[in-house]
Amino acid sequence: MAATFSDMAQMLADNRHLGPEMMLVVFAFIVLAASTFTKNRKLLGWIAIVPVLVSLLLVTGMMGLLDIGYLGLSSLAGPVDVALVGGALSVDLFSLLFKFVFLSVALLVVLTSLSFIGVKDRHIGEYYALVLISTVGMMIVASSNNLVPLFLGIEMAAISTYALAAFRKHEGKSVEAGMKYFIIGATSSAVLLYGMSILYGISGTLDIAGLSRRLGEDAWEPATVVGLAMVTAGFGFKMAAVPFHMWAPDVYEGSPTPITVLLAAGSKKMAFAAAFKVFLVGLLAAKADFGLALGVVSVLTMTVGNVVAISQTSVKRMLAYSSIAQSGYILMAIAVGTKTALAGGMLHVLTHAFMKGGAFIVVAAVAYLLASEKLEDYKGLSRRAPFLAFCMAAFLLSLAGIPPLAGFWSKFVLFSGAVEAGGWMVWLALAGVLNSALSLYYYARVIKYMYVEEPARDARPVAPEAGPYTAVLAIALAAVVLIGLYPQPFIDLAFRAAGTLLP
Amino acid sequence: MAFPVLSLLVAIPLLGALVVFFIPGRRAGAAKWIALVFSLVPLLLSVYIYYAVWSAPAPSTTSYLTSETLNFEEHFEWVPALGISYSMGVDGLSMPLVFLTTLLSSLAILFSWNEGRRPKEFFGLMLVMEVGVVGVFMALDFFVFYIFWEIVLIPMYFLIGIWGGPRKEFAAIKFFIYTHVASVVMLLGIMGLYFQCKEVLGHATFSMIEMAKVSPTLAPGFQYVAFAALFFGFAVKMPSVPFHTWLPDAHVEAPTAGSVLLAGLLLKMGGYGLIRVALPLLPEAARAAVPAMVILGVASITYGAFLCIAQNDLKKMVAYSSISHMGFVMLGASTLSPIGISAGVFQMFNHGLITAVLFMMCGVFHHSAGTREISRLGGLAQKIPVAAAVFLTGSLASLGLPGLCSFISEFMVFYAAFVAHGGWMWIPVSAVVLTAAYYLWAAQRVLFGKFKVDLPEKEKGHLDDLHPYEAAALGILIALIVFFGLFPSAVLDLTNPAASAVAGLLGGAP
Repeated sequence: MAATFSDMAQMLADNRHLGPEMMLVVFAFIVLAASTFTKNRKLLGWIAIVPVLVSLLLVTGMMGLLDIGYLGLSSLAGPVDVALVGGALSVDLFSLLFKFVFLSVALLVVLTSLSFIGVKDRHIGEYYALVLISTVGMMIVASSNNLVPLFLGIEMAAISTYALAAFRKHEGKSVEAGMKYFIIGATSSAVLLYGMSILYGISGTLDIAGLSRRLGEDAWEPATVVGLAMVTAGFGFKMAAVPFHMWAPDVYEGSPTPITVLLAAGSKKMAFAAAFKVFLVGLLAAKADFGLALGVVSVLTMTVGNVVAISQTSVKRMLAYSSIAQSGYILMAIAVGTKTALAGGMLHVLTHAFMKGGAFIVVAAVAYLLASEKLEDYKGLSRRAPFLAFCMAAFLLSLAGIPPLAGFWSKFVLFSGAVEAGGWMVWLALAGVLNSALSLYYYARVIKYMYVEEPARDARPVAPEAGPYTAVLAIALAAVVLIGLYPQPFIDLAFRAAGTLLP
Repeated sequence: MAFPVLSLLVAIPLLGALVVFFIPGRRAGAAKWIALVFSLVPLLLSVYIYYAVWSAPAPSTTSYLTSETLNFEEHFEWVPALGISYSMGVDGLSMPLVFLTTLLSSLAILFSWNEGRRPKEFFGLMLVMEVGVVGVFMALDFFVFYIFWEIVLIPMYFLIGIWGGPRKEFAAIKFFIYTHVASVVMLLGIMGLYFQCKEVLGHATFSMIEMAKVSPTLAPGFQYVAFAALFFGFAVKMPSVPFHTWLPDAHVEAPTAGSVLLAGLLLKMGGYGLIRVALPLLPEAARAAVPAMVILGVASITYGAFLCIAQNDLKKMVAYSSISHMGFVMLGASTLSPIGISAGVFQMFNHGLITAVLFMMCGVFHHSAGTREISRLGGLAQKIPVAAAVFLTGSLASLGLPGLCSFISEFMVFYAAFVAHGGWMWIPVSAVVLTAAYYLWAAQRVLFGKFKVDLPEKEKGHLDDLHPYEAAALGILIALIVFFGLFPSAVLDLTNPAASAVAGLLGGAP
């Protein structure tokens, strides 16, 4: 027995770079167990925050941005680049940057949930446990070098979020969202898995880098094209790219708002982490073939998202469509497939998490105060709740790419990647900037409602205005402004992270 | 490194804006005082800088955008990963416009002294606008240039959207989207330039100084594309026909101070970008674009003048006259000659002063008589003689009366245009007749003849003459219009050497 224990200890030590994931899993069970003893909603939330914060610290340390040596963790000091589990998982800057995003999103989600979850809600332990588990799934995807853990991670995150979307069982919209999300999600997973199995059948390897070698050698068979198409469609569903986007607005609108943050800012970005790996590492040899097709999908996605967003009357639904448009921008990174573009895509994943997450949290706060998500009810919000209105304005201007906010920098690097690549990709950049201008229309409209229009006659200032959401909004706002004013470390990090995939 | 004086021009209004935004609601009355102080300090500073640049020895005329031609340079690394640095500096072409910006910001604040509606936001946004515009005129890094360029949009959007006229919401969003599209196309041009220069230089930089060293050597084909993108951004801002349609909407709906800043400063950003950035950086393309610039310039001058004649709203007439007068800037630039370029900058400076007077007077008439519609007014000179006199002076200055400042710049533009483009320049010259016609005709109908204000009784104004604060702002402007008309060398001494340097790069006619 002793040997077994020491083996286990050795195994843990060997895989210490997966410490954040392991800790999240352990705490998911602790929250579950705790929920059988206590019904204190806040306490359960705080238990869930602990591993998220510690993991954020570890990940930041492993990226080499923070000296964690004095914590006795010098063996984790970064920047880290290790392969684990026989090369199936790797912990490098690419995966760490994504993990940083996922953990930040988890932090926003749990902090928002502290106030969002009310007396009527049941199964709070399960709620927090599922949030943690889905985060682990996303983090595994970011680390995967192999199709099997990649798919397992996607499923782990997806199945948790199916349940979370339908968390408020007493609300019809929430149940509908969960059901819709489950059916579409399961179907798309099946398509994705089938595509992967075809690629495996042709290449004989599950290793993503190996895929590239095998597929690069021979002329393509029809089956390769079918496999590639199915993988593209599978990812397209997950990242809500046009024409696979139909589910997203309903699901985002119907889900409890913290879960909308998790879906839009977290699990969608997981699809991008996976797609970056599969397309830019596994299928890089075929880039000339899929590049143009993905470019078209990218332009379609941003245009459809923005155009439909214009006509929305619910702010939450408008943000859902804007989220689709943002997917289109990030897709440019794969279509262009250069280091600058990939860095821009990753940077946009990071900034989008804060600005879109923040915007959804404002929606939650306004819904909490005014019991409405309608644009009409945002009239004169700047007089009634100045801090909320200011946060919303900052997030929206950042989403539109107005300098000097975070979203401007990520869009800038992303579009400049397309310009740098030249050729037809300049048109992608042009489509991107024109779409940004288009999106300004509906973002500015919300700002107009908040600042220009007078509040309704019977409206009074609401106090305490942002209430419990103040802290979490302050975090998101600080991130958007900080990245905006001092982007150097983030841009540098994004370039180095992109360098681990595309040297 | 010397004391960062130029950064103060940006920092002081920014600080002022923050102070104004955060004063408590019950003390909102203090907003105008704070705003005035925080805009007067940069004005005094810019006078000092102006004098320092003016009295400095003229730089050599063989180079442009180098450390020799720039004064008060500042450089700080900002985003080394992308080669972005916070760089500031002024030279002969930017200095008059920096002075104009600080001057008009102060006067616009003074003119809006009794703005009672949400005064905190109003005066704060005016200061933010000053930050953006003055930053554009001083930035030496393309990236910083773009950021200031975009910052300007936000306060103007709110100024139109909150304090504007009946169709303010449409006008505000149209202004925002139209000019933003132009800006992002310009940004694409900047990106292209950045990557091409990076290949030649071997390192990434957005510094205009470094890019100017290599950009003239880039392949002509690329220069054409980049110039087209930059030109589109600048032409929309100026605005040049046929990209002018946002301007009348924005002007008619904007509050008076907003119009003053819009016409006095924002339009200048376009002309400045063309002359100071696009021409010297992309000379090959600039030479190729001469026909386009001539045609757009002439079209703006004449078409703008024709539009003015047809207007019944006094403010709309002044707005269209801006299109006509900014056409002179385009025409001056198209000559690629020292005189034309120098005159283009001087014309912008003069137009800033004159159009501020005219827009302020539109505001005075609207407020005093109750309407700006020419057909409803008559004989105002009998009731409000001082205001009438000021409006007439502004009109005469705008139509180019000798002795007032814009006569000199328009004359120089025509001289340069005849030298560069030949005899068919009689077309824009004859548009000056139209200018005289619409101003004098409007003045005659509004100011002279039988007194009338054709409005229902309750909509009529009190026919107050100028308030003291209005008189102060207008008086300063009129004094400067006369001063620069009599002593144009106060500006031309600055612009001429720099314009020669630019023209030297372009190889244009002497």
